[in-house]
Amino acid sequence: MAEFSLKADAFLGGFHKDYGTVVVTEVTDRAIASFALPLGGEAQAEKTIKSVLKLDLPSVGTAAQSEDGATTLLRLGKDQLFCLMDKQPDGHGAHRALSEKLAGTVFTTDQSDVWVSLTIRGPDSLRALERICPIDLHPGSFEVGALARTVMEHLGTVIIRNSDDEYTLMSASSSAKSFLHAIETSIENVL
Amino acid sequence: MIINHPLLGPRDAAEFVYLGDESLIERPDPNAPDAADRFYEYGYLRDNPAGEHKELWYHEQGDRSWLVVTRNTITHQITHVELARDVARAKGRDR
Repeated sequence: MAEFSLKADAFLGGFHKDYGTVVVTEVTDRAIASFALPLGGEAQAEKTIKSVLKLDLPSVGTAAQSEDGATTLLRLGKDQLFCLMDKQPDGHGAHRALSEKLAGTVFTTDQSDVWVSLTIRGPDSLRALERICPIDLHPGSFEVGALARTVMEHLGTVIIRNSDDEYTLMSASSSAKSFLHAIETSIENVL
Repeated sequence: MIINHPLLGPRDAAEFVYLGDESLIERPDPNAPDAADRFYEYGYLRDNPAGEHKELWYHEQGDRSWLVVTRNTITHQITHVELARDVARAKGRDR
Protein backbone atom coordinates (compact mmCIF):
# COMPACT_ATOMS: atom_id res chain seq x y z
CA MET A 1 0.00 0.00 0.00
CA ALA A 2 1.23 3.44 -0.87
CA GLU A 3 2.46 5.48 2.04
CA PHE A 4 1.34 9.05 2.11
CA SER A 5 3.11 11.79 3.93
CA LEU A 6 0.88 14.84 4.29
CA LYS A 7 1.94 18.23 5.49
CA ALA A 8 -0.64 20.81 6.55
CA ASP A 9 -0.47 24.25 4.94
CA ALA A 10 -1.13 27.41 6.89
CA PHE A 11 -4.68 28.67 6.30
CA LEU A 12 -3.42 31.89 4.75
CA GLY A 13 -0.09 30.52 3.53
CA GLY A 14 1.80 32.23 6.37
CA PHE A 15 0.47 35.66 5.42
CA HIS A 16 2.66 38.65 6.28
CA LYS A 17 2.22 42.22 5.11
CA ASP A 18 3.77 45.48 6.25
CA TYR A 19 1.54 48.51 5.65
CA GLY A 20 4.02 50.91 7.24
CA THR A 21 2.21 51.77 10.46
CA VAL A 22 0.38 48.43 10.65
CA VAL A 23 1.89 44.96 10.25
CA VAL A 24 -0.31 41.87 9.85
CA THR A 25 1.19 38.41 10.39
CA GLU A 26 -0.48 35.01 10.42
CA VAL A 27 0.37 32.95 13.50
CA THR A 28 1.21 29.42 12.42
CA ASP A 29 3.16 27.96 15.35
CA ARG A 30 0.40 27.69 17.96
CA ALA A 31 -1.81 24.73 18.91
CA ILE A 32 -5.18 25.46 20.51
CA ALA A 33 -7.13 23.33 22.99
CA SER A 34 -10.49 24.31 24.43
CA PHE A 35 -11.26 23.58 28.07
CA ALA A 36 -14.74 23.16 29.49
CA LEU A 37 -15.00 23.10 33.26
CA PRO A 38 -17.48 20.42 34.39
CA LEU A 39 -20.58 21.58 36.25
CA GLY A 40 -19.92 21.12 39.96
CA GLY A 41 -16.27 20.19 39.31
CA GLU A 42 -14.97 23.72 38.77
CA ALA A 43 -12.77 23.80 41.90
CA GLN A 44 -11.10 20.47 41.09
CA ALA A 45 -10.60 21.55 37.47
CA GLU A 46 -8.98 24.78 38.58
CA LYS A 47 -6.62 22.88 40.88
CA THR A 48 -5.61 20.43 38.16
CA ILE A 49 -5.04 23.16 35.58
CA LYS A 50 -2.87 24.99 38.10
CA SER A 51 -0.72 21.94 38.84
CA VAL A 52 -0.37 20.90 35.16
CA LEU A 53 0.10 24.30 33.53
CA LYS A 54 1.46 26.24 36.54
CA LEU A 55 -1.12 28.91 35.81
CA ASP A 56 -3.95 30.36 37.87
CA LEU A 57 -7.23 30.59 36.00
CA PRO A 58 -7.48 34.15 34.67
CA SER A 59 -10.70 36.04 35.32
CA VAL A 60 -13.36 36.06 32.57
CA GLY A 61 -12.27 38.32 29.71
CA THR A 62 -8.54 38.16 30.42
CA ALA A 63 -5.53 36.08 29.37
CA ALA A 64 -2.71 34.60 31.46
CA GLN A 65 0.69 33.56 30.13
CA SER A 66 3.14 31.16 31.72
CA GLU A 67 6.56 32.55 32.69
CA ASP A 68 8.33 30.90 29.76
CA GLY A 69 5.67 32.19 27.34
CA ALA A 70 4.94 28.67 26.08
CA THR A 71 1.36 28.47 27.34
CA THR A 72 -1.41 31.06 27.31
CA LEU A 73 -4.84 30.59 28.87
CA LEU A 74 -7.75 32.63 27.52
CA ARG A 75 -10.79 32.79 29.78
CA LEU A 76 -13.66 33.20 27.31
CA GLY A 77 -16.48 32.49 29.71
CA LYS A 78 -17.21 31.30 33.21
CA ASP A 79 -16.60 27.63 32.37
CA GLN A 80 -14.85 27.95 29.01
CA LEU A 81 -11.14 28.50 28.22
CA PHE A 82 -8.74 28.25 25.33
CA CYS A 83 -5.20 27.06 25.90
CA LEU A 84 -2.59 28.18 23.37
CA MET A 85 0.57 26.05 23.18
CA ASP A 86 3.53 25.45 20.90
CA LYS A 87 2.51 23.29 17.96
CA GLN A 88 3.94 19.77 17.75
CA PRO A 89 5.20 18.44 14.38
CA ASP A 90 2.18 16.14 13.88
CA GLY A 91 -0.27 18.95 14.63
CA HIS A 92 -2.19 17.16 17.39
CA GLY A 93 0.55 16.14 19.83
CA ALA A 94 0.15 19.19 22.05
CA HIS A 95 -3.53 18.52 22.68
CA ARG A 96 -3.02 14.79 23.14
CA ALA A 97 -0.33 15.27 25.80
CA LEU A 98 -2.40 17.86 27.63
CA SER A 99 -5.68 15.95 27.51
CA GLU A 100 -4.02 12.94 29.14
CA LYS A 101 -2.82 15.07 32.04
CA LEU A 102 -6.21 16.73 32.49
CA ALA A 103 -8.32 13.62 31.88
CA GLY A 104 -11.29 13.27 34.17
CA THR A 105 -11.18 16.82 35.51
CA VAL A 106 -11.45 19.06 32.44
CA PHE A 107 -13.17 18.40 29.09
CA THR A 108 -10.71 19.23 26.31
CA THR A 109 -11.11 19.51 22.54
CA ASP A 110 -8.38 20.00 19.95
CA GLN A 111 -9.16 23.29 18.20
CA SER A 112 -5.84 23.74 16.37
CA ASP A 113 -7.36 23.32 12.91
CA VAL A 114 -10.44 25.38 13.72
CA TRP A 115 -9.03 28.86 14.15
CA VAL A 116 -6.89 31.12 12.02
CA SER A 117 -4.79 33.55 14.05
CA LEU A 118 -3.43 36.93 13.01
CA THR A 119 -1.35 39.43 14.92
CA ILE A 120 -1.86 43.07 14.10
CA ARG A 121 0.71 45.48 15.42
CA GLY A 122 1.78 49.04 14.87
CA PRO A 123 0.65 52.53 15.90
CA ASP A 124 -2.36 52.53 13.55
CA SER A 125 -3.64 49.06 14.46
CA LEU A 126 -6.22 50.49 16.87
CA ARG A 127 -7.54 52.88 14.20
CA ALA A 128 -7.92 49.99 11.76
CA LEU A 129 -9.60 47.67 14.26
CA GLU A 130 -12.00 50.13 15.88
CA ARG A 131 -13.94 50.37 12.63
CA ILE A 132 -14.88 46.70 12.53
CA CYS A 133 -14.72 45.66 16.19
CA PRO A 134 -17.84 46.39 18.26
CA ILE A 135 -15.81 46.24 21.49
CA ASP A 136 -14.44 49.45 22.97
CA LEU A 137 -10.69 48.96 22.39
CA HIS A 138 -9.60 52.15 24.14
CA PRO A 139 -6.73 51.27 26.52
CA GLY A 140 -8.86 52.50 29.43
CA SER A 141 -11.49 49.80 28.87
CA PHE A 142 -9.48 47.13 27.02
CA GLU A 143 -6.17 46.80 28.83
CA VAL A 144 -3.12 44.74 27.93
CA GLY A 145 -4.09 41.12 28.64
CA ALA A 146 -7.79 41.75 28.00
CA LEU A 147 -9.69 39.61 25.50
CA ALA A 148 -13.17 39.44 24.05
CA ARG A 149 -15.11 36.99 21.96
CA THR A 150 -17.20 39.05 19.60
CA VAL A 151 -18.02 39.58 15.90
CA MET A 152 -16.17 41.47 13.17
CA GLU A 153 -17.82 41.76 9.76
CA HIS A 154 -20.35 39.10 10.88
CA LEU A 155 -17.52 36.64 11.60
CA GLY A 156 -17.03 35.33 15.12
CA THR A 157 -13.71 36.62 16.45
CA VAL A 158 -11.61 36.44 19.58
CA ILE A 159 -9.53 39.56 20.09
CA ILE A 160 -6.67 39.74 22.59
CA ARG A 161 -4.60 42.79 23.45
CA ASN A 162 -0.94 41.70 23.68
CA SER A 163 0.59 45.12 24.23
CA ASP A 164 -0.23 48.79 23.72
CA ASP A 165 -0.27 48.43 19.95
CA GLU A 166 -0.37 44.70 19.28
CA TYR A 167 -3.44 42.47 19.09
CA THR A 168 -4.07 38.82 18.25
CA LEU A 169 -7.25 38.00 16.34
CA MET A 170 -8.68 34.51 16.03
CA SER A 171 -11.51 33.57 13.67
CA ALA A 172 -12.89 30.45 12.04
CA SER A 173 -10.32 28.86 9.71
CA SER A 174 -13.08 27.96 7.23
CA SER A 175 -13.62 31.66 6.50
CA ALA A 176 -9.98 32.68 6.97
CA LYS A 177 -9.67 34.45 3.63
CA SER A 178 -12.88 36.46 4.14
CA PHE A 179 -11.67 37.44 7.57
CA LEU A 180 -8.30 38.57 6.23
CA HIS A 181 -10.09 40.52 3.50
CA ALA A 182 -12.17 42.34 6.13
CA ILE A 183 -9.06 43.23 8.15
CA GLU A 184 -7.08 44.34 5.10
CA THR A 185 -9.97 46.46 3.85
CA SER A 186 -10.24 48.19 7.19
CA ILE A 187 -6.50 48.86 7.29
CA GLU A 188 -6.54 50.27 3.75
CA ASN A 189 -9.48 52.51 4.69
CA VAL A 190 -7.61 54.24 7.50
CA LEU A 191 -4.13 54.49 5.95
CA MET B 1 -29.24 48.37 21.62
CA ILE B 2 -26.52 47.59 24.14
CA ILE B 3 -26.84 44.73 26.64
CA ASN B 4 -24.64 45.16 29.69
CA HIS B 5 -23.42 41.59 30.21
CA PRO B 6 -22.77 40.91 33.92
CA LEU B 7 -19.37 39.30 33.22
CA LEU B 8 -18.24 40.85 29.94
CA GLY B 9 -19.52 44.41 30.08
CA PRO B 10 -21.49 46.31 27.44
CA ARG B 11 -22.07 44.29 24.25
CA ASP B 12 -23.96 45.06 21.08
CA ALA B 13 -27.34 43.33 20.79
CA ALA B 14 -26.17 41.90 17.41
CA GLU B 15 -24.03 39.43 19.38
CA PHE B 16 -27.16 37.98 21.02
CA VAL B 17 -30.08 35.82 19.98
CA TYR B 18 -33.51 36.39 21.52
CA LEU B 19 -35.52 33.45 22.82
CA GLY B 20 -38.55 34.75 24.71
CA ASP B 21 -40.20 35.08 28.09
CA GLU B 22 -38.08 34.31 31.13
CA SER B 23 -40.74 31.84 32.31
CA LEU B 24 -39.33 29.36 29.75
CA ILE B 25 -36.75 28.56 32.46
CA GLU B 26 -39.52 26.85 34.40
CA ARG B 27 -40.06 23.79 32.26
CA PRO B 28 -42.92 21.64 33.58
CA ASP B 29 -42.33 18.20 35.05
CA PRO B 30 -43.02 15.72 32.20
CA ASN B 31 -44.10 13.11 34.78
CA ALA B 32 -46.81 15.28 36.35
CA PRO B 33 -50.37 13.92 35.85
CA ASP B 34 -51.42 17.13 34.05
CA ALA B 35 -48.17 17.34 32.06
CA ALA B 36 -49.94 17.71 28.69
CA ASP B 37 -51.89 20.79 29.84
CA ARG B 38 -48.87 22.31 31.48
CA PHE B 39 -46.70 21.83 28.40
CA TYR B 40 -49.45 23.40 26.30
CA GLU B 41 -49.35 26.45 28.56
CA TYR B 42 -45.54 26.42 28.62
CA GLY B 43 -45.26 26.18 24.85
CA TYR B 44 -48.07 28.42 23.64
CA LEU B 45 -49.48 30.80 26.25
CA ARG B 46 -47.64 34.07 26.84
CA ASP B 47 -48.35 37.46 28.31
CA ASN B 48 -47.63 40.27 25.89
CA PRO B 49 -46.88 43.17 28.22
CA ALA B 50 -46.48 46.78 27.13
CA GLY B 51 -43.79 47.79 29.57
CA GLU B 52 -41.31 45.87 31.66
CA HIS B 53 -40.58 42.35 30.42
CA LYS B 54 -38.10 39.72 31.63
CA GLU B 55 -36.75 37.72 28.72
CA LEU B 56 -34.08 35.23 27.74
CA TRP B 57 -31.20 36.23 25.49
CA TYR B 58 -28.37 33.94 24.34
CA HIS B 59 -24.87 35.36 23.86
CA GLU B 60 -24.13 33.32 20.76
CA GLN B 61 -21.29 35.49 19.43
CA GLY B 62 -19.70 35.75 22.85
CA ASP B 63 -19.37 33.48 25.84
CA ARG B 64 -22.45 31.37 24.96
CA SER B 65 -24.19 32.29 28.20
CA TRP B 66 -27.93 32.66 28.67
CA LEU B 67 -29.06 35.93 30.21
CA VAL B 68 -32.28 37.15 31.79
CA VAL B 69 -32.70 40.71 30.51
CA THR B 70 -35.29 43.08 31.96
CA ARG B 71 -36.36 45.31 29.07
CA ASN B 72 -39.12 47.83 28.62
CA THR B 73 -40.96 46.75 25.48
CA ILE B 74 -42.15 50.33 24.81
CA THR B 75 -38.84 52.18 25.18
CA HIS B 76 -36.36 49.26 24.77
CA GLN B 77 -34.64 50.52 27.89
CA ILE B 78 -32.77 47.70 29.61
CA THR B 79 -32.83 48.06 33.38
CA HIS B 80 -31.34 44.79 34.60
CA VAL B 81 -29.24 41.89 33.25
CA GLU B 82 -28.52 38.65 35.10
CA LEU B 83 -26.98 35.30 34.20
CA ALA B 84 -29.83 32.85 33.61
CA ARG B 85 -27.96 30.21 35.63
CA ASP B 86 -28.04 32.50 38.67
CA VAL B 87 -31.76 33.11 38.18
CA ALA B 88 -32.43 29.37 37.81
CA ARG B 89 -30.38 28.52 40.89
CA ALA B 90 -32.22 31.19 42.91
CA LYS B 91 -35.43 29.34 41.96
CA GLY B 92 -33.99 26.18 43.49
CA ARG B 93 -32.70 24.51 40.34
CA ASP B 94 -29.32 22.77 40.40
CA ARG B 95 -28.14 24.32 37.11
